Amino acid sequence: MNRRHSSGWVSLAASYAILLICAGIFVLPIAFMIVASFKPDELVLREAGTWRALILSEASLDNYGAVFERVSFVRYFINSVFITGSIVLGGLLVNSMAAYAFARMQWRGRNLCFGFVLILLILPFEAIAVPLFYQIIEFGWRNTYHVQIIPFIANAFSVYLFYSFFLQIPREMEEAAAMDGAGPWRTFFTLIVPLAKPAFATVAILSFLMHWGNYLWPLMVVDYDAYRPLPVAIAEFQTLPPIQWGDIMAFGVMMVLPVLLVFLVFQRGFVQGVASSGMKN
Amino acid sequence: MTRRFHNRKLWVRLFLRAVLPGMAAAFGFGCGRELQPAYDEEGRRLVHVWVHSGQAAERETLRAQVAAFNEANPAVRVRKTVVPEGDYNARVQAAALSGDLPDLLEFDGPFLYNYVWQGHLQPIGALLSESLRQDLLPSIIEQGTFDGELYSVGVFDSGLGLYADRRRLEGVGARVPEGVADAWSVDEFDEILAALSEAAGGRPVLDLKVNYTGEWYCYAFSPVLQSAGADLIDRETYARADGVLNGPEAVAAMTRLQTWFARGYVHPNIDDAAFVQRDAALSWSGHWDYPRYAEALGEDLLLLPLPDFGEGSRTGQGSWNWGLTRRAHHPEAAVAFLEFLLRPEEVLRMTDANGAVPARREAIARSGLFREEGPLGLFVEQLENSAVPRPATPGYPVITAVFESGFQDIRDGADVQAVLDRMARRIDEDIADNQGYPRR
Amino acid sequence: MGKQTEGRERRESENPAKPVLRVRDVQGLGMAGPALAGLLVFVAVPFVMALILSGTNLRMGSPLETRFVGIDQYLRVLGDEAFRRALVNNSVFALVVVPLQTALALGLALLLHRKMKGRVLFRTLFFMPVVFPMALVAVVWQVLLAPGPDGLLNSLLGVLSFGAWVPRDFLRDPHFALPAIMLMSVWQGVGFQMVIMLAGRQGVPEHLYEAAAVEGAGSWRQFLHVTLPGMRNTIFFVVVVTTILAFRLFDQVDILTQGGPQNATTTVMYEAVRTTFAEARVARGAAMTVIFFLIVVALAWAQRKLMREEREIA
Repeated sequence: MNRRHSSGWVSLAASYAILLICAGIFVLPIAFMIVASFKPDELVLREAGTWRALILSEASLDNYGAVFERVSFVRYFINSVFITGSIVLGGLLVNSMAAYAFARMQWRGRNLCFGFVLILLILPFEAIAVPLFYQIIEFGWRNTYHVQIIPFIANAFSVYLFYSFFLQIPREMEEAAAMDGAGPWRTFFTLIVPLAKPAFATVAILSFLMHWGNYLWPLMVVDYDAYRPLPVAIAEFQTLPPIQWGDIMAFGVMMVLPVLLVFLVFQRGFVQGVASSGMKN
Repeated sequence: MTRRFHNRKLWVRLFLRAVLPGMAAAFGFGCGRELQPAYDEEGRRLVHVWVHSGQAAERETLRAQVAAFNEANPAVRVRKTVVPEGDYNARVQAAALSGDLPDLLEFDGPFLYNYVWQGHLQPIGALLSESLRQDLLPSIIEQGTFDGELYSVGVFDSGLGLYADRRRLEGVGARVPEGVADAWSVDEFDEILAALSEAAGGRPVLDLKVNYTGEWYCYAFSPVLQSAGADLIDRETYARADGVLNGPEAVAAMTRLQTWFARGYVHPNIDDAAFVQRDAALSWSGHWDYPRYAEALGEDLLLLPLPDFGEGSRTGQGSWNWGLTRRAHHPEAAVAFLEFLLRPEEVLRMTDANGAVPARREAIARSGLFREEGPLGLFVEQLENSAVPRPATPGYPVITAVFESGFQDIRDGADVQAVLDRMARRIDEDIADNQGYPRR
Repeated sequence: MGKQTEGRERRESENPAKPVLRVRDVQGLGMAGPALAGLLVFVAVPFVMALILSGTNLRMGSPLETRFVGIDQYLRVLGDEAFRRALVNNSVFALVVVPLQTALALGLALLLHRKMKGRVLFRTLFFMPVVFPMALVAVVWQVLLAPGPDGLLNSLLGVLSFGAWVPRDFLRDPHFALPAIMLMSVWQGVGFQMVIMLAGRQGVPEHLYEAAAVEGAGSWRQFLHVTLPGMRNTIFFVVVVTTILAFRLFDQVDILTQGGPQNATTTVMYEAVRTTFAEARVARGAAMTVIFFLIVVALAWAQRKLMREEREIA
């Protein structure tokens, strides 16, 4: 008994040690970015290799001001929010409806259609980026918002997540609704949607995480500021002369901070959302 | 067999030309939307212009010029769109295919031949005034001409040279060349690099702008080949790179360049400040760095010709210039804007901001920088004597892409002969794929 | 119109109870329709188009007539040095990152499963990089990986090795560039997997551990015989997702190395996008896409088969 107790203490200390080292590794790049964003540009690289990399010697907000002066940061931010928001909201509606049709409704062609969705389940967007690029040129969709939104709304994985969730809802409730004369549309919107809030939260968070960082697609289909989202904007900013690393880090902080704050406030939701994506298998 | 082949072809064409646009129409918004309207809400003629992002001072100058032009021409509105330099040509290609090219397109000089071949541009010679054409530098006319027609003009030509820190050169007792004729030989250059590097305690001393991506490599380092007696492609026929790009002269020159990397002379320059922070003593760069360098180094800034690899010092020429697209709504308004940019005082406004060689003799004569004994007189001397235009062929976009990736391989220590062989093969393969780029 | 009624009449005569379009068929299709249409137009059609395009010599903007060239594009792509290297790089990336990231995620999850002070804080810290877009990660890491003794990673390794470490230009060194990209990818992604693992671990009933402990199993044996089997499906899910992720590799490469040095970091996606977008060689890019697709399908098939076999054993 005694032995077990002391070994428990040792292993707890070891756990903490490992966790602390890992935490250091995880935090270091973020801390570096934040500190560097307040430094004069020429010190960012010069001090990167010293302990001063994480010390604010001459703090100022100059870099932040410079970002707003040099590029349309606010526009990029609004673009990203609008694009990601539309994908998430549109996706919630469209994919949950489809999932409900597959999980609960009897209709001809259902199995065929669901099979089609299952086939696409593992297919990453990248697999069709090249032909889709050519296709949207033919559509005349370059340099728009909708070219960055519409292709991502229908998502096989989201359909599948909703589908697994809907299967767990007891049938009796729907049968009761049907007795009252509600059609499937009304049943879905008035009964199922409120019941499925956790599923909606999960899909919303996952699809946000998936699309907030979209880089490849907007890189190809957006040519200028008006429709450019943040990830492409920071890559462009990084090569826009004069190259000032302090400004670039300030851009980075402003780009991630709002999301980070939302994450910290709703972190339980985030974690549960992500966690349940793996539970359905 | 041929019949079947033909049918399949038809089917593909049907798919690409009927099914897709049909879907586009069904999906609505794309097709009805006029991306580049001819008039704005107030009925003014719109001139859509694409420009590259460029240096901060260039961007600011052009912004002011557009504002001034719009102010002076109330019936016309110039709408400027800044497009990043990184994938500029890719974006032009995609825009051309989806029909949203601007009216006036800025592009890097040697891409002209490809754009004309693809049918995107219209001749502008007849639209420009005679006096203006007469006053333009021959290098500008040469760059803008394809198949005997003038398709584009630039506001400035480029200058490429070796900026040097006078004090560092004096520190190692290096000779300072007077002009193109007495440029350092490459052996002399090697000795100077070694001496500078030793004096700097082994820190890198040569800035080759390896932080850049894109056109820079072909522009800045094909003069190395030409100075050694090699070239990118056979200039008689533009049909073959093999034997020209991978001959013994080319291998020797690029191997020499490789040793600068191998010996640690070359500065990684990831913040583009190696020279202004006086970390590097030499900077292989273009006119656009002059304003920044002059400010940082003052009296200590020297501008020297590139080293001579055997056949005399060579340098690059050509720069961003303007072409009128075939879909332009108001060619006369677009050309009016172009003529505005080409007024001597506007040319000087731009070249004062970016250090480029003014495209007009009149502007050069008025400029303090470009007189023979002016600080940038060398750039004018080079344009008259030692500058080599990039190959005037529709295959140029592939040549420059191949050169850039080949240069990176050489930089990273790959076998030079093997790299150059591969580059030549890829260029020749592209020429064959395009049936030799037949002219219409 | 005529045809339709004819069909209905025929069907109705065969099976009078089943009209051709029942209300619920319309309702079902109506509900699934938007998603199905989206998947059809933006996934299925492009894929069919890739198949067709890859058989031609189409180039964007070329005034020459597009011809049918059979399987030439595939032969060329597969014969291309850079593309073959890309296949190798993706495979190496997967072979290193999948086990590494899975093991790391599992390890962290097991550590955090314990009831201890600060576990929420640690979980939050490990998950933080997940909300960083990869483009931003690449930009920040570019400075961390800066060459010479001034670089943060270089100087850190120098301190840890008591000065034995020779500073390197990680992203320009053929031996270090891909590992550097792997490192930042793991940094960004492991928190996501960790959270999934954590949930998987919570799904393993505690009484199984108690039973194992009663039988005298140590923590290693408990891990082997209770934890691993209990979390099998979760681990499988993580492995599948990470493997496919490994083949999607693009953003970091595009921003940091452009496939260099000497193709050491090029990937299938990078080659496909550069070919299509920068070089306007749509047909060649389409052929690469089809190959990419086949790889993903093969991976999914192999993993499903493996999983099924394991289920049969268990």
